[in-house]
Amino acid sequence: MGLLIRIVLAFMKVSAIAFGGAYATIPLVEEEAVVVQGWMTYGEFADLIAIDEITPGPILINSATFVGMRVAGIPGAIAATVGCIIIPCIFVMILLVLYRRFHDSALMEGAMVSLKCMAVALIASTFIKLGLNALLPEGVAPDLATGIFSVAVICGAFYLINQKKISPLPVMLGCGAVNLLAHLLFL
Amino acid sequence: MSRDGKDRSSRLGKLLPLFLATFTISMTANSGYAILAVMKDDFVNKREWFTEDEMADLIAIVQSAPGAMAVNASMVVGYQSAGFLGSLAAVVGCILPPLVVMIIVTAFYQVIVSNEFVYLFMRGMQLGVVGMLLDVIIGLFVNVTKGRGAYPLIIMILAFLYVRLSGWSILYLAIACALAGVIKASLIAKREES
Repeated sequence: MGLLIRIVLAFMKVSAIAFGGAYATIPLVEEEAVVVQGWMTYGEFADLIAIDEITPGPILINSATFVGMRVAGIPGAIAATVGCIIIPCIFVMILLVLYRRFHDSALMEGAMVSLKCMAVALIASTFIKLGLNALLPEGVAPDLATGIFSVAVICGAFYLINQKKISPLPVMLGCGAVNLLAHLLFL
Repeated sequence: MSRDGKDRSSRLGKLLPLFLATFTISMTANSGYAILAVMKDDFVNKREWFTEDEMADLIAIVQSAPGAMAVNASMVVGYQSAGFLGSLAAVVGCILPPLVVMIIVTAFYQVIVSNEFVYLFMRGMQLGVVGMLLDVIIGLFVNVTKGRGAYPLIIMILAFLYVRLSGWSILYLAIACALAGVIKASLIAKREES
């Protein structure tokens, strides 16, 4: 029971500061699950983000369910999801009541811009860590050919999403398939 | 039947459609912005439960609250259509697909991740995630810096140094950022007054 309460509290904290869209939640889950609580390794976290991209639903709920499930099974998964909902629910209800006043408020807008700037910085930091983890996975000897191939896959994914506007799901599956084939055939 | 009774039955009648709508939306989209777009189409154009203007206000509320946008949007749309129960039906519809799918995936994750093929496939997806995050960063960066001068850049650099170097909780950073934004906005408001 103590563990379930800890899960709820952990995700209440994550969801309370998750401003700036789905991807802004990734660094927060990383901090809480990997660093503060030590519930998963960085490698597992990297797997989780990949899984988030190929499963339906909001990324925060996916991440919370994964972490909760790994820590305490199905009750943990439900506890984590409930934790993610409580604080936003309170926020939304307050905003609904006061909404005209808040909607036009320059102060609210100012706070939101700063929080979005923070989100960019946090995602950039996670980008660096995930990039290093993807290029130099733990327990695998670095190898030049694999490194060059990996950078090419990263650039390819970026190109398809940024320039060709292809949605992340097929790109992720494609990257997985290309990597698997390359390792089976020549790497 | 009294007006209240009629109102209540029409509200109850909306619970199942609400649940099914958010369930379907959550099943088919996973980025917050995609979900908002589908929701708008569903509730404004198809069901006509809200006007375009009402929906724009609701979306503004959703984007000002923390957490998963899809859940917040379900909450607001459900509440405005059918009160507390509507909100509950919509939120449950929204979280059920990810909850069930992720419980199944996680249960299998522990078993299949040790398989070499799965491992290589996951490694490839992790590379894809890195490329995708680069796109996300560029998109957000442009969105938040456009026409706002040096202030966003300063906040970004300070926040970046904070997370890379300090090792303190992001919670304090979030509070500091929100305060900085409020202070800056109130200074501008004062200057405009005088």
